[in-house]
Amino acid sequence: MQRDEIPPGTLYLLILKTLALHGELHGYEIANSIQRTSDEVLQVEEGSLYPALQRMLIKGWVTAEWGVTAGNRRARYYKLTAAGRKQLALELSQFERVIGAITRVIQTA
Amino acid sequence: MSEARELWRRLRMLFHRRQFQAELEEEMRLHLELRAQEHAENGLGAEAARRTAYRRFGNPTLIGEKSYMTWGWGWLESLVQDVRFALRQLWKTPGFTITAILTLALGIGANAAIFTLVNAVLLKDLPVVDPQSLVRLGDSDQCCVNRGPENVNYYSIHSTDTWQRFRQNDPEFEELAAMQAGLGPLVVRRGHSDEAAHSVNAEFISGNYFRTFGLLPAAGRLLQDSDDVPGAPITAVMSYALWERNYARDSSVVGSTFWINTRAATIVGIAPEQFYGDRMQSTPPGVYLPIESLPGLRGNDYVHEPEARWLYLIGRVKPGTALAPLQQKLSAQLRQIFTTNKYFSSARDRPLLDRVQVPLTPGGAGIRNMQAAYGSNLRLLQWIAGLVLLIACANVANLLLVRGMGRKAEMCLRTALGAARARIVRQLLTESLLLAVIGGISALAVSYGGAELLLKLAFPSSNDVPIHATPSLIVQGFAIALSLVTGVLFGVAPAWLSAGAQPADALRSGSRTTAGGASILQRALVVMQAALSLVLLVGAGLFAQSLSKLEHFDLKLDTANRYIVHFDPESAGYSRAQLAALYRTIEDRFHQIPGLVKVGLSTYTPMESYNDNTSVQIQGQPNLYKSSSYVWANSEYFDSVGTRVVMGRGFGPQDSPTAPAVAVVNQVFVKTFFKPGENPIGAHLGGPESPGDFTIVGVVEDTTYGSVRWKDHSMFFLRLLQQPAGDKKPADYVFTRAIVLETARPMDNMEALSRRTLSSINPNLSVVKFQTFSSQIGEQFTHARMLSRLMTLFGGLALLLAAVGLYGVTAYGVARRTSEIGIRMALGAERSGVVAMILRSALLQTVIGLAIGVPVAFYGVTLVKSQLYEMTTVSGGALAVAVGTLLAAACVAGLIPARRAASVDPARALRAE
Repeated sequence: MQRDEIPPGTLYLLILKTLALHGELHGYEIANSIQRTSDEVLQVEEGSLYPALQRMLIKGWVTAEWGVTAGNRRARYYKLTAAGRKQLALELSQFERVIGAITRVIQTA
Repeated sequence: MSEARELWRRLRMLFHRRQFQAELEEEMRLHLELRAQEHAENGLGAEAARRTAYRRFGNPTLIGEKSYMTWGWGWLESLVQDVRFALRQLWKTPGFTITAILTLALGIGANAAIFTLVNAVLLKDLPVVDPQSLVRLGDSDQCCVNRGPENVNYYSIHSTDTWQRFRQNDPEFEELAAMQAGLGPLVVRRGHSDEAAHSVNAEFISGNYFRTFGLLPAAGRLLQDSDDVPGAPITAVMSYALWERNYARDSSVVGSTFWINTRAATIVGIAPEQFYGDRMQSTPPGVYLPIESLPGLRGNDYVHEPEARWLYLIGRVKPGTALAPLQQKLSAQLRQIFTTNKYFSSARDRPLLDRVQVPLTPGGAGIRNMQAAYGSNLRLLQWIAGLVLLIACANVANLLLVRGMGRKAEMCLRTALGAARARIVRQLLTESLLLAVIGGISALAVSYGGAELLLKLAFPSSNDVPIHATPSLIVQGFAIALSLVTGVLFGVAPAWLSAGAQPADALRSGSRTTAGGASILQRALVVMQAALSLVLLVGAGLFAQSLSKLEHFDLKLDTANRYIVHFDPESAGYSRAQLAALYRTIEDRFHQIPGLVKVGLSTYTPMESYNDNTSVQIQGQPNLYKSSSYVWANSEYFDSVGTRVVMGRGFGPQDSPTAPAVAVVNQVFVKTFFKPGENPIGAHLGGPESPGDFTIVGVVEDTTYGSVRWKDHSMFFLRLLQQPAGDKKPADYVFTRAIVLETARPMDNMEALSRRTLSSINPNLSVVKFQTFSSQIGEQFTHARMLSRLMTLFGGLALLLAAVGLYGVTAYGVARRTSEIGIRMALGAERSGVVAMILRSALLQTVIGLAIGVPVAFYGVTLVKSQLYEMTTVSGGALAVAVGTLLAAACVAGLIPARRAASVDPARALRAE
């Protein structure tokens, strides 16, 4: 099975979107969700999730709260804020613009 | 808004770092465990599952660090680390740390202290409204009541008449205030109280004086124009300092009656607290009185004499007034006024009229006499302090270099282990900056104490000097900035040098070295220090010699068991006609005191700051246009001060008020007015209008009056109570100011006895000043003594710093060469040989320093010779002492490490590797 590195800069978008879809998740769930949803194509270097999440906490896009997992383990759950939703919309439109442009360039040939 | 919230989140994180780390670790651990569990469920063995999970996760430590960095506190963390490490390093080498901090503190503190004084004395304006628009009509210290032409053509004092005309004719001035040039004491006693009469420094001022300065009273009101009219009831304003000191700020002082020179005066108000008068002086005025009250209080009437110049003028000009045209206009007006002045009417003086000028100078600092007197001294001290700072900087640089090189091995090891050069430089820089900050703070402490000390040295006998020796914020900033600059400047070089080491080199060479030890740079610094401290030591020696010359000058007088009582019969209300009786009473009453030998009475005494001067002509000889100082004295005066008669006689009982008026002249007078070999006895002298007034009966030695610096001071002495032959008016006696008492033995209670004797004659006869003759003479040397002390202080400081520098370099060299010395001694070198070897290199640097310092010292003297007494070049004595001291200090600084080197145990030194 071929696995691809995610394009740089899109990690925030992926996390934001994942949280928007599933509500509250902890780090492991976020990583799994991205992997599953992308049909195992997109491979996050799992550790890199955590600095990214810290940055999103600083920016106020997500908040974190400790909770308990199904397996009865303590875990930190991340949740999107209003600012996070706005950021998601912004990044989505940006991403689409870029992808659209790239697609047009490729198809012109 | 969102930035503020972001900052808040960052700060919260900073304060909960530990919790943050723990939570992140827990979170990542959970992730890894869940992933491993997943792999295990998929059939991997426990160990393989764990490893796979780790591989996919990445390095948790690195990720943790990266997460932490995201919050943006990395710089702070490493700063704290650096500072902590630097503190630990400094703590480990207390000798180095204390020396460096002390050096910085002394070097910078001395500068800050001097600058504080310069700022307070030279740069400060009066505490008045808008000092920038004040203009002074004059530029120099002219005093006190002058009539004829000044030696310079610039006029700084003016007559009442001139002031009034300027005030009327020159609308450029919003206000033009006048103030007395030569202040004097008045006798003041509070009415309706049992307070004893005491003397208070008083200043006569114009009614618009306080208004000109824009001042508001601390209590009551200030003087106004209506107080300053002839015949007005006498009103006065008291200074805040006097009000506080003598009357505990009693509000009933305002409006109450005081007896000032036996006349009733109302204190109408108190001057503002900060105001110390229009000039800086050691005894600021305690009361301010209107000009027009002077004739009534003082008896003499130069106030209304159009020719008598006695007032300083300060005006507030209207905005936008150009000063150059105003100066021309005022000068033209003054020339016009002088054309009708009889003192400018002689053929010799008329041409001077065209050159008369009224110089306009900034008036914001008031009358800058003290500034002019101390300016050159203070600037000299600034230079000296600058040199000391240079030495201090060299010292710190040297210490840091030594330290940097000593840690070369450590730095190499760090570099070898992968430390970045920038990181090492930063670490070392942190250390030197930390040192600089601590040094700067200690320097502030030194500057506080130092400025206080300098002020005490400068004005030893006064507690009223209006100078506040508190370093201002600017000075404090200056001190800190200076120490930081020193720290960075002298921290970077060693840091760079030691960080640039090739690790392999240093590790290979170990600690065995035969190379000289200290580097050229270090030696150069020591040489420079030695040179500079030689210059300062020579300076200290010269000022000490100058002082000793001044103090050992033969004044041709006798101070043993002699006391000078200054008093003021005029202030006590005596008229001139009453003086004959008063003087006889004083002589009689003092002679009744057991142990009293001589009672002298005179207008002034040797070595005080007072002088009467007049034009003199010898009868029957052409007018030489020369003047001479004169003193009125009683018959016992010459004996009382110890002046010896060399020809003819002194005053005797035969010189009664009715006998022909006689004069005694000094030897300079004879040289000035008579041809060599001519006999002065029997000749007549007087003013050019009446040269036959006095018959010369004797010649006395040249006792020093005024100042030691006054060379060829021609003087003549007149007998009190005698009338000039040409004077046909009724008795118009002269007021004396001093009683000179000679006793058979030292008498501690003389002051109390004098006060009692005078007040028994008249309760208003108060003692203005009581001193032993020697302390009056000593006062004249205060200035020179201060300079000499300060120079010695700075010279000593420089010597100490240079010695510390030399010691540091030598000690470092010895430490580096321990194993070399061990080998030498193992091969049979004598202990004495080792000591000599170390000492030789230490002394070599000092000698080179001397070779540079000597010519610099010679050059330096040419710059300061105006502040020395009769010394134009470096004296052999001062040079020898300076060179000797420096060499001795170098020997001590070199000997300590040399002895340590000689005590090296060869076996241990070789093993030590």
